[in-house]
Amino acid sequence: MITWESFLETFETGSGFWNPLIWITAIIVAFLIIYILRGYGKKEYKENTEQTKVFLSGNPEYEKEQMHIKGSNVYWGFTESLKWVYKTLDKMHTGNVSDYILWFVIIMGILFILVGVI
Amino acid sequence: MIELQDVSMRIIIIIVGTIGFAAFGIIFGLFYKGIDRKLAAHMQGRIGPPLRQPFRDVVKLFTKENIVPENAIPWVFNLAPIMGLVGAISILLYLPIVPQTDGGLGPLVSVGGDLLLILYLLMIPSLAMVIGGFSSGSPYATVGAQREMATMIAYEFPLAIIIISIAWRLSIEGNANVFALTTISSTAPVWSVAGPLGFIGFAILLLVLIIVTPAELSKIPFDSPEAETEIAGGLLTEYSGRNLAMFYLTDGVKTVVMASLIVALFFPYNLSNLSILGLESGSYLAFAVDIIFYLVKIFLVIVFSVTLIRVAIARLKIDQIVYTYWVPLTLLALVGLICIMWDPETMAQFGLPRVVEWLGFV
Repeated sequence: MITWESFLETFETGSGFWNPLIWITAIIVAFLIIYILRGYGKKEYKENTEQTKVFLSGNPEYEKEQMHIKGSNVYWGFTESLKWVYKTLDKMHTGNVSDYILWFVIIMGILFILVGVI
Repeated sequence: MIELQDVSMRIIIIIVGTIGFAAFGIIFGLFYKGIDRKLAAHMQGRIGPPLRQPFRDVVKLFTKENIVPENAIPWVFNLAPIMGLVGAISILLYLPIVPQTDGGLGPLVSVGGDLLLILYLLMIPSLAMVIGGFSSGSPYATVGAQREMATMIAYEFPLAIIIISIAWRLSIEGNANVFALTTISSTAPVWSVAGPLGFIGFAILLLVLIIVTPAELSKIPFDSPEAETEIAGGLLTEYSGRNLAMFYLTDGVKTVVMASLIVALFFPYNLSNLSILGLESGSYLAFAVDIIFYLVKIFLVIVFSVTLIRVAIARLKIDQIVYTYWVPLTLLALVGLICIMWDPETMAQFGLPRVVEWLGFV
């Protein structure tokens, strides 16, 4: 049976802690306040008119399927800025097993040196 | 055994506290926004809008039509702005307004969460904007949402290094609960534990945190997710009326949150402790002085981390933003981390005093 104590307990990991119930209570209260505040705003708009079309700076609107941008593009900023890293990794990725084993041996060697010296 | 009365008392405190912090965050968020706009205008040789302009903007947005685009998913589109604002307000509860030494306020729910929780909660407003952008069904908003995602991933890295460095240094000093803001802001403020090398390290981390703040707040030069002149407002392109007002308020509250976080981590000092003022510890007057001092500290942080940077630098492209955070700033934060790591060693080896002792504060 869940007691009051265990129900209200704060999660602790040794260094971090948080109490989900306090957060949920705060979130519910804040949600109600904001919902009421938002209620003072105007609700209406003209449905099914030009107003509800997406803004595209006057460019022609394509089919919805064509306008969707792929998930892989989310990381465009990363792939573009870290191109130099990806290029190097691409070169190393030869698909030849003996190359991968060579890398494995080199990394193991470096690790042994690190562990041995430090 | 926890009494039912005790629990209900706690719940009442949380409810009243949330209402208070919501009002505080929104009012001061808008007020600081006004100051920021006015100062930025003066820096650019303009007169600028009056300080109450952000309040007027919100009132105006409330009277405008709340358009939901035909491609949008209406419930997500309407819910995202509310969740963003609610998330931002909930963070305020965990931040110490006046550090707890000498009868200060401390965080409202200090036992309820730590710095790591704040790190996660900080993502909610940004994620709400991303979800709102994707649910708009507009190409501009989708591009904006993608950029916001990339920016988020970019600045989390140096931010995490800052948090970990501070906690690690405090744990070396033998503090328990190193992630708790009560420890960081009242038991052992960072500058009080640092030797000369650690002092340099913390100064570097403060600089990095000041540069992370504009990205957290989507301000120039890291505002490519919105980029009005390029993608017509990005995430917010399709938002109007009260939904846009909610995002506007979120921005204000987040500004207060980020500034409070910097103050709590690096400047958690009270003015009422000064013997020159002759204030009685724990009195209402001391409390009022500390609150005013806190508001001044927030103002200074906002001027340096938001206004000054956004006036001085032009907008960066999204790949430049990622590069800035992942290469120079991460390296800088790591240099700070190394300084802090070597600090106890150098202090022990060369017999160096703590900086506060050296300056004669202790």
